Amino acid sequence: MLELRGIVKRFPGVLANDRVDFSVRPGEVHTLLGENGAGKSTLMKIVYGLYRPDDGDVLVDGRPVEIHRPTDAIALGIGMVHQHFMLVDTLTVAENVAMGMRSSRRPLTDLDVVADRIEELGERFGLPVDPHAVVWQLSVGQRQRVEILKALYREARLLILDEPTAVLTPQEADQLFDTLRAMTADGRGIIFISHKLREVLALSDRITVLRHGRVVGEVDDVGAATRESLAEMMVGRQVKLAPDKDQARPGEPRLRIRGLRVQGDRGVEAVCGVDLDVCSGEILGIAGVSGNGQRELAEAVAGLRRPSGGTVTVDGVELSTASPADTHAAGVRYISESRMREGAIGAFTVAENLLLVDHGDRRFHRRGLFDDRAIEEHCRHLVDQYQVKTPALDTPVESLSGGNIQKLIVARELSARPNVLVASQPTRGVDIGAAEYIHAQLVAERDRGTAVVVISEDLDEVLALADRIAVIYEGRIVDIVERTDANRETLGLMMAGGHPTSR
Amino acid sequence: MSQFFSQAILIAAVAGGIRLAVPLLLAALGETYGQRSGVLNLGVDGVMLLGAFGGYFTVLELGNVWLGLVVGVGIGAILGLATAFISVTLGAEQGISGIGVYLFGLGMSDLLFQKLVGTPLPIESFPKVPLPGLSSIPVVGEMLFQHSLVVYAAFLLVPISTFVINRTTFGMNIRAVGENPEAADSVGISVARVRYATVLIGGILAGVAGAALAIDLGIFQQNLTNAQGFIAVALVYFGAWRPLGVMGGALLYGMVNSIVLQLKTLGIIPRSWSDIAAMAPAVITILALVLVARRFRQPAALAKPFVRET
Amino acid sequence: MRKHTRTMRWLVLGAVLAIAAAACGGSDDSGGGDGGGGETFRIAIVAPSASNDLAFTQSIVDAVNRVKDERGNIEVAVTDGTFVVEDAAAAIRDYASQGYDLVIAHGSQYGGSLQEIAPEFPDTTFAWGTAADTFGLDNVYAYEAASNEGGYVMGVMGAMLSKSKVIGIIGPIEVGDAKLYVDGYAAGVEAEDPGATVNINYTGSFSDVGLASEAAQAQIAAGADVLTGTAQMVVGAVGVAKDKGVLWFGTQSNQTSLAPEIVVASQVYHWEVILDQILDQIAAGKKGGETFKIDLANDGIVIEYNDGFDLPADVKQKAEETIAGIVDGSIDAG
Ligand SMILES: Nc1ncnc2c1ncn2[C@@H]1O[C@H](COP(=O)(O)OP(=O)(O)OP(=O)(O)O)[C@@H](O)[C@H]1O
Ligand SMILES: [Mg+2]
Repeated sequence: MLELRGIVKRFPGVLANDRVDFSVRPGEVHTLLGENGAGKSTLMKIVYGLYRPDDGDVLVDGRPVEIHRPTDAIALGIGMVHQHFMLVDTLTVAENVAMGMRSSRRPLTDLDVVADRIEELGERFGLPVDPHAVVWQLSVGQRQRVEILKALYREARLLILDEPTAVLTPQEADQLFDTLRAMTADGRGIIFISHKLREVLALSDRITVLRHGRVVGEVDDVGAATRESLAEMMVGRQVKLAPDKDQARPGEPRLRIRGLRVQGDRGVEAVCGVDLDVCSGEILGIAGVSGNGQRELAEAVAGLRRPSGGTVTVDGVELSTASPADTHAAGVRYISESRMREGAIGAFTVAENLLLVDHGDRRFHRRGLFDDRAIEEHCRHLVDQYQVKTPALDTPVESLSGGNIQKLIVARELSARPNVLVASQPTRGVDIGAAEYIHAQLVAERDRGTAVVVISEDLDEVLALADRIAVIYEGRIVDIVERTDANRETLGLMMAGGHPTSR
Repeated sequence: MSQFFSQAILIAAVAGGIRLAVPLLLAALGETYGQRSGVLNLGVDGVMLLGAFGGYFTVLELGNVWLGLVVGVGIGAILGLATAFISVTLGAEQGISGIGVYLFGLGMSDLLFQKLVGTPLPIESFPKVPLPGLSSIPVVGEMLFQHSLVVYAAFLLVPISTFVINRTTFGMNIRAVGENPEAADSVGISVARVRYATVLIGGILAGVAGAALAIDLGIFQQNLTNAQGFIAVALVYFGAWRPLGVMGGALLYGMVNSIVLQLKTLGIIPRSWSDIAAMAPAVITILALVLVARRFRQPAALAKPFVRET
Repeated sequence: MRKHTRTMRWLVLGAVLAIAAAACGGSDDSGGGDGGGGETFRIAIVAPSASNDLAFTQSIVDAVNRVKDERGNIEVAVTDGTFVVEDAAAAIRDYASQGYDLVIAHGSQYGGSLQEIAPEFPDTTFAWGTAADTFGLDNVYAYEAASNEGGYVMGVMGAMLSKSKVIGIIGPIEVGDAKLYVDGYAAGVEAEDPGATVNINYTGSFSDVGLASEAAQAQIAAGADVLTGTAQMVVGAVGVAKDKGVLWFGTQSNQTSLAPEIVVASQVYHWEVILDQILDQIAAGKKGGETFKIDLANDGIVIEYNDGFDLPADVKQKAEETIAGIVDGSIDAG
């Protein structure tokens, strides 16, 4: 139903798509796989009319078409769920769906008709939402359903989903997959983008792998593929999906949390009395579905949020009432989960962002001025090491791909040699190759004697990294287990609020 | 104090409050459309001034108050389109460009007045039209139903605007564009077209507000509006971007003004308090703004130009 | 980004042009004197409202033009509408540095600025009104109007003409010239008819025409059938008086043209009386340090009756007697 032939797209300094051929048949899930910056989102934006290709043809149902803007794509039966949702928070679900559509009662709205249709579609494809709910009240997963409903309402026969599971809890992701299967059963085509190989294997009918904007492989027989083989195709070499690491040799506790209570944004208590010790030379994994107090806990440790009770001690120094600057000075570093909003300044260059936190450091100054040579060397080193794909050091960060912005921030925080490191979803949206590198760096930090906390929803990541695993649910630590005693099933159960069966 | 509650005084206070509220209400309703779609237009007062002069001059020359109002519409439409061009097409910084429009209106209306008229000459005002039946209700009839058609029309615009904004596809597009223009654009709504329409409506209503003010007062003078256009912009915030709230704000402002005038006249507010009392309308309105509007969020894309990336 | 700044530049340019043009408009009407021969004496006026406001600003512009017509060889420049004090200060400084011989700062609110500026330009004479203070500077003259005197005379007339015996006065802010006038008018009413009620309403604004108009409505609702008011915003109130058929007394300029049916009389300022004195003193080499006052006695204040208004003879006679009494000192106008 969709065919791309020889698509080329250039950005200043980057060839984002290099003669890409790609097709989707009715009733299949065709997955696009590739490292950060490989050109996946760019290709999809071309199909949806957000970008114009520099060369190549787009064919729909065998006929060449020109897609100048999203409405053209919609008219051709193409829908897209963006990495960042395109919803109006203050409108209702029905209004969001009806937006831009011709009303049957013009100039008045026909929201009751729309609402009926939403319920009908929701039932058919397993997308339950209240059409009269206002979008800001909805969870992320529900919002994604609205996006899909928007496409279905417009009779999309082809749906593009760009990293839809990056923001979903495991349960929500499973629900999404049911919906996608219902859609393919209905003869619709789906383009799926994800870095999570486990779900790619479970869902896809075909897989196309992009590297540096070029198609480097196609998998037609998904049953025969493995995570390892896919990773190798993406990166072009063998990839270790779990980092090599020695047995941890924990030392003295460096981070000590006692009876910590923290208010969330909505004024309810998000962290309700947490006790934790993290020792020098160990990685504590905090597993949990996001929204169970992880963010508030991490921010309290980082000094960004004042606790309402309890203490946070780093190397014997009480920090629960300290300023962010003092906490920083105590060697606490935090890699926030919303890097796009909090971790980087979009209009600043790559180099400026790398220096954002440490611009006061002696290394970068000579006689009171910035030492350009030392700065450039430092930045170049980080960019190379962390494989940040950027045309130049003076490229504004906002034009990097999502995964590359994340690598940049991880690079900056790890380069500061912290005493306590809190990393929240350190590899969300990051490709396999870079995730491997980040994991190795976290382990190296541990071995240097840092107390490392890794907060993640991704059980694979927690199991690969952590020496001990704490499960958080509704602001409380449900249980803490040694890595060697942990297994996916019990952890998954506890994350969903089930009680620990061990002990 | 008891004198204040005499029938004649009460009637005059309420009727006066309504008269004072009308130009503010018209201008603020227009501004509401613009702000709901994400355009902050600080030039309202300039448009009002030119509308006021245009309306005044038309009545002075031609003697027809309704033609004066029509000229107000025309001037408002032209300036509305100019404002839309600046803030939508050129994507200029809206706060500053609005001040530019204000200064232009302030200077130009005065220039035209000096050149074309010179000394203030009185003109005819709108005829009062007592509403049949309603106007003969004792007390209330005199307060509410013995005004000019412009007054009734201004208040009629409140439910109409509420309906347009909440119940029509145009209104839904306005809200979408004001909250998340990228999202609206992605489903094929022309952000520019919606914003041109709302700013045009805002311009027309500001022009009408100015013309109505001048014709109602029967006179023109330099800076006739005395910054009412800015108060109108503030009232949009006060009214939490809802026509009914905007009306509440305009009425509150007008009523407090009118009541303070009555109390001063009767000496209930002593003369030594006069200057402080003159601030009461602004202070009370701001207090109400702090209490009421804080609970509402402004349109997320307010004052942010929209440019589609390529 | 560049695009924004370019747009802004055009906008600001447009605004500046419009304002500049408006300002020129004012000076065109009155300025442009090239006396020819001899040294031209250059006078600049900086005033808060419009040159033709039928009130405070017009009174000085008219007066300076009369002096110019009489004496010749005088050049006049006007910057009006500077209700923002900073703008006025800038204009005053501008004229002084351009070498104007006499800079008239026509507004009591300009005093602070003048006190700063005048010492910097010892060769320029400044005149400041309405005020009674020269700050001890020898290049500043102060001038004021005994507006209470005209107010008193018209108060007497108002009390005689009122049937309801309620009289309304509308003022801007209770200071300076406005306060003098209002108090004088009230004293006149009181003297003529101690039983009459005088309602005084200071609106709080010199420029809010709409508010002044509503103040007139309030006065009428409170029973007034004779109104007066001072400052440029009263044009709105005159309209209301005309609508409701109540009488009006004007001040600062002749306001008959606003409502020929109901304006009884106006107190008119003839500043030329003291301007003449100031010019003579400058010619004699004295640049300031003195305060002047116009009043009924020196003909700087004149009561101009509306010929179109059918004023009862006894009222007119009483008015003339009152004027005479104030001039000879037998009546104290407060
Ligand atoms: N608007 C833009 N301007 C300049 N360069 C861009 C722009 N959008 C994308 N790029 C560049 O094009 C390349 C491909 O980016 P794209 O977003 O398609 O990657 P991606 O495969 O979706 O990566 P990720 O997995 O990180 O989302 C990157 O090098 C990126 O920096
Ligand atoms: Mg992407």
